[in-house]
Amino acid sequence: MAAIVADRLSKAFTLRIRPKGRFSTLRGLFRPERRIVQAVKGASFSVNEGEVVAFLGPNGAGKSTTIKMLTGILQPSGGTASVLGLDPSRDRKRLAWSIGSVFGQKSQLWFHLPPADSFRLLGAIYELEPALLASRSGALIERFNIGELMDVPVRKLSLGQRIRCEIAASLLHAPKLLFLDEPTIGLDVVARKEIRALIEELNKSDGVTVFLTSHDMGDIEKICKRAIIIHHGEVVVDESMKALKHRALARKYLGVRYAKPVDMDLPGLLPIKRTELSARYEVDTNEHSLAAVVKALASRGELEDITIEDEPLENVIATIYASRSGAEASLFGEREARHD
Amino acid sequence: MEGVQRPGRLRAYARFLGLAFAVNVKSVLEYRVNFLVQFFGMMLNNAAFAAFWAVIIGRAGAVGGYGFTDVMFVWGLVSTSFGLAHVLAGNVRMLGKIVMEGGLDVYLLQPKDVMVNLLASRTVVSAWGDFVYGFIVLALLPGTDLARLALFCALALPGALIFAATFAAAESLAFFMGNAQAIASALSEFMLSFSLYPEGVFGKGYRWIMYSLVPSAFVAFVPLRIYRAMDWRFVPLLWAIALVYAALSYALFQAGLKRYESGNRVDTRI
Repeated sequence: MAAIVADRLSKAFTLRIRPKGRFSTLRGLFRPERRIVQAVKGASFSVNEGEVVAFLGPNGAGKSTTIKMLTGILQPSGGTASVLGLDPSRDRKRLAWSIGSVFGQKSQLWFHLPPADSFRLLGAIYELEPALLASRSGALIERFNIGELMDVPVRKLSLGQRIRCEIAASLLHAPKLLFLDEPTIGLDVVARKEIRALIEELNKSDGVTVFLTSHDMGDIEKICKRAIIIHHGEVVVDESMKALKHRALARKYLGVRYAKPVDMDLPGLLPIKRTELSARYEVDTNEHSLAAVVKALASRGELEDITIEDEPLENVIATIYASRSGAEASLFGEREARHD
Repeated sequence: MEGVQRPGRLRAYARFLGLAFAVNVKSVLEYRVNFLVQFFGMMLNNAAFAAFWAVIIGRAGAVGGYGFTDVMFVWGLVSTSFGLAHVLAGNVRMLGKIVMEGGLDVYLLQPKDVMVNLLASRTVVSAWGDFVYGFIVLALLPGTDLARLALFCALALPGALIFAATFAAAESLAFFMGNAQAIASALSEFMLSFSLYPEGVFGKGYRWIMYSLVPSAFVAFVPLRIYRAMDWRFVPLLWAIALVYAALSYALFQAGLKRYESGNRVDTRI
């Protein structure tokens, strides 16, 4: 069953802009000019129950706006959304019982108080009977290893500790669907790893559906099975992580170092970087056979070292992000798919 | 899961609001010195105004039909009502700023009424001083007994509701105008100023405003008349008026909520 269905979801914001020229401030006061900004333009996608989906896009692509429409925070300007069978714009309160959310940049814990107090208050908000709240908190405290933090005011916690408490707090009411908006933002490597492991475990052992946005490729590669990329308010890529990684595999980086200077230009393939003794090539394996390139390079002279690397996933996504429009990004997607 | 998902009932709301209040109090008591300074500072501030009125009435006699006792009663009642509104609904004058900065997201993600949840999520420290000050004034006034104390409370509660409703309505304009801070703060200044001066000093035009848009009349002048006459009959009417203001304010907030645009500010709950 689908946990999330977005059908041509769109959101437009009205911006007031100050006119230019003489007496601009005064004119702006009486006759303000308005501009409509389309933050999300007809995004359609669906997420099945039990899936872990990465929702990606560069800053300003419409990620947060889409999540806010899916959680009932924002009213869509067009299209429809169905989350766990409910319309978030009309059934916000009903939906809130079954979804959890962690916005890395917005805290739901009281800053001056220890998490224990926030947990108690959240228990009252979600109407958990005291005994149920105690058993849920106990289990989450153990799982997230936050026992020692429960009585420390939130303002004194490190960011990693706070995020662990935030995620635990968002699970008190046992949501079926978890929205995570950049949960690992600003965390160090160890804390990031811990959070990823916890999210993975939640999905595997409790079957929680996870909808995750992150700029951290590590999060995405480790946790997610599918990626939806939104750009300029449109969904430009919606495919499995496997397919996305496969795009990366089509491009290899080949480095060589010779004992003596040799001619390093190959027919149809020039080095992207070179020194007197070494060179680095970007090989599109759809155009050149890797084996043939290695053979040709070996025949030029005595090789001291040779390295072959996959293209980082980050580059694939960066190329999609760098496209100037949604149509261009889609074209890139199609072109890449054809190469596959 | 099913056992958890009970629709909001009054008991559940009462438990939530009670706990929210306890958490707010604990939050302000984290900084005890700050609490005490603001608490006593506000009472001192109010006492200074009382002294000012004592001097004026001492020299000029009644002002606008108010004697010293009347002035003190109104000061006490307005102080307690205003204080109670900010003690229980501490976010009432932060509402516009919260809307403008996209701070409603957290409340929209929870299965509780957004306006109630938001307003009850904070208590204003100095308002505790205001709240208690009214009772001290009442205790010092001649002729105060239990019956008068009960009437004072019965008048202060709708007063607090009217203060909260009016301020929240003004702040809710932020949904429609983006920045409504100037209007909201002007309205609260007007309402307080109008409340604290005798009704008789205002002209007819002002009085129209004070019985409608800026309802100082219902937090000061009408309660004074009821209190002078010790007439409980009009108390339910005052409650009804307070509920109308609350309903209008709630409707305006709900209409605005549909236009809420959120934001991406980094936020913590204080």
